Amino acid sequence: MVYFINDIITGALIGLLYSLVAMGFVVIYRASKVFNFAQGELVIIGGFIVWFTTMQAGLSLWLSIPLSLVLAGLVGYAIERIFLTKLIGESVFSMVMVTVGLLILLRGLVLLVFGPAVRPFPIIFPLKPLFLGDMLIPMNLLIGGIITIVAAVGLSWFFNRTRSGLRMTAVAEDHVVASSMGISVKGSIAVAWVLGAILSTIGAMIFLSGKSLTFLASDIGFAALPVALFAGLESIGGLILAGIIIGIAQSLTTNYLDPLIGGSLGSVVPYIIMLAILLIRPTGLFGWRTIERV
Amino acid sequence: MALLLLAPYLVSSRIIAILNMMMISAVIAVGLQICTGYAGQINLGQAAFMGVGAYTASILASKTGLTFLLTIPLAGLSAALFGFLFGLTAARIKGFYLALTTIAAQFLFHFAVLNLPSTWLGGSNGITVPPAELFGQRFVSESSQFYLNFAVTAIMVAGAFGIVRSRFGRAFVAVRDDDVAAGIMGINVAATKANAFLIGAFYAGVGGALWAYLIRFVGVDQFTLFHSIFFVAMIIVGGMGSIVGALIGVFIIRIIQEIIATVGPNIADSVSFLGGDIVFAGMNVVLGGVIALFMILEPKGLMHRWNILKSSYRIWPFPY
Repeated sequence: MVYFINDIITGALIGLLYSLVAMGFVVIYRASKVFNFAQGELVIIGGFIVWFTTMQAGLSLWLSIPLSLVLAGLVGYAIERIFLTKLIGESVFSMVMVTVGLLILLRGLVLLVFGPAVRPFPIIFPLKPLFLGDMLIPMNLLIGGIITIVAAVGLSWFFNRTRSGLRMTAVAEDHVVASSMGISVKGSIAVAWVLGAILSTIGAMIFLSGKSLTFLASDIGFAALPVALFAGLESIGGLILAGIIIGIAQSLTTNYLDPLIGGSLGSVVPYIIMLAILLIRPTGLFGWRTIERV
Repeated sequence: MALLLLAPYLVSSRIIAILNMMMISAVIAVGLQICTGYAGQINLGQAAFMGVGAYTASILASKTGLTFLLTIPLAGLSAALFGFLFGLTAARIKGFYLALTTIAAQFLFHFAVLNLPSTWLGGSNGITVPPAELFGQRFVSESSQFYLNFAVTAIMVAGAFGIVRSRFGRAFVAVRDDDVAAGIMGINVAATKANAFLIGAFYAGVGGALWAYLIRFVGVDQFTLFHSIFFVAMIIVGGMGSIVGALIGVFIIRIIQEIIATVGPNIADSVSFLGGDIVFAGMNVVLGGVIALFMILEPKGLMHRWNILKSSYRIWPFPY
């Protein structure tokens, strides 16, 4: 029974990590209507920035973490300036295709610059797990979960209550209408990408803390995809619930079903949930229902 | 065309090998063109559909010994069925949500191959494929395979020209341009989208079967998301919504890939820390850059540029 509860808690915490990465998707979508397929690549770039500032430049954690976040924001801004600003006014299809191009472009660049070598990642959160009776909870995931919830509450307040957040929401609704209302589409998309890159870097810190870093870690971007869809692409608060549900489902499958069937069903459970969600309720739990006009 | 038929006698076997790859890619890219370029459905799972075809053909060929005259169409059909399943989601969802189900197709395909009992699909070891055989003649050499690929590619491309001019093709274009309006005009939008996936996946499956007979080995690494994106790059470069455009795109992207694969190892000697990954990395950088550049500078592809040239030649010396 204790193990069962422990599995549920660990699963929920991993789910919250997925939520944080998925928040990158949602923030970019919420402010620019672009679905960023290259999210996992942003995570890995964030990871390499953190690795570079701590392990390579030898800065202390207190200095390197803020510096990494700033650098990640700059990378996000640069990507937006180089690739996406020029596409404002083009169809959303082109923008999505550009992020597909970015997915392989960034993957290749990371490989070219850093190579395929496995690197130690700095220990940002204490390695010692938290003991609750017989239960054992990984510290990085616990702190990460708290960060995720704080970020979700903060961002959902920003997007739903503040004036600039609502402006960005208008951009997500329709680029042309938003810009004719005097809202800067360019600025909105820039903010979205900076925020998206920063969130991905925080995600990388939680995910990789004390582990090893290779370019393969970007797979977490695709693991977070189902969470974003389950919540509905426009809902930031909903990510928490969706992340927890998917995390628990995955953890229980891995621990109880996989030994029975002798496979790794746990790794595809999120995608199966995603397909089911797309078929049953394509807008997700809390997404907007859109009305089409001709 | 006639010159192409004589190609095995005219050029070296290296070029024949490249031509073989181009023709197989052409079949798959033309399928993707129908699905994405004509029907407007973003498809990031074309390599998975190709994989389904390749596995079907290789299992049929190695276990039941069927002739390739049967395995290639059957491979196409099984891939089409797989693609149709994902196209069915179009009944409920549209736009890039659909692209996400095709990514799910990619992951589910990998999962199925790697986790089903290895006696079924070979697991991570892959499957060895016996060569195609007709009247006791085995298609082993590059040039004999060239004729096999050429025949199949010619049939498939000719079929594609027919499809896009038929009522299905016109329905695809209508759905691409505005699916709500198309629905009001009496087109069954969901069925049309599912059909687009069915046809696109059928082409991918046939291409996959040809691939299996050419390489004589299938493994799950040959059909990743990256390969799907390479096919997307082909139709973006060539131009969306044009069969000839898809062929041009295949030609250009395959040549770029060939150059990287040739030059890459030489560079790898001088920057040794990258090792063998430089080809993969370089391929990704160049093709990712090509996709982004074309989307920004020439979103309609080279075919569009060619059409402009053609019409300005026709009306010369008047501007329009």
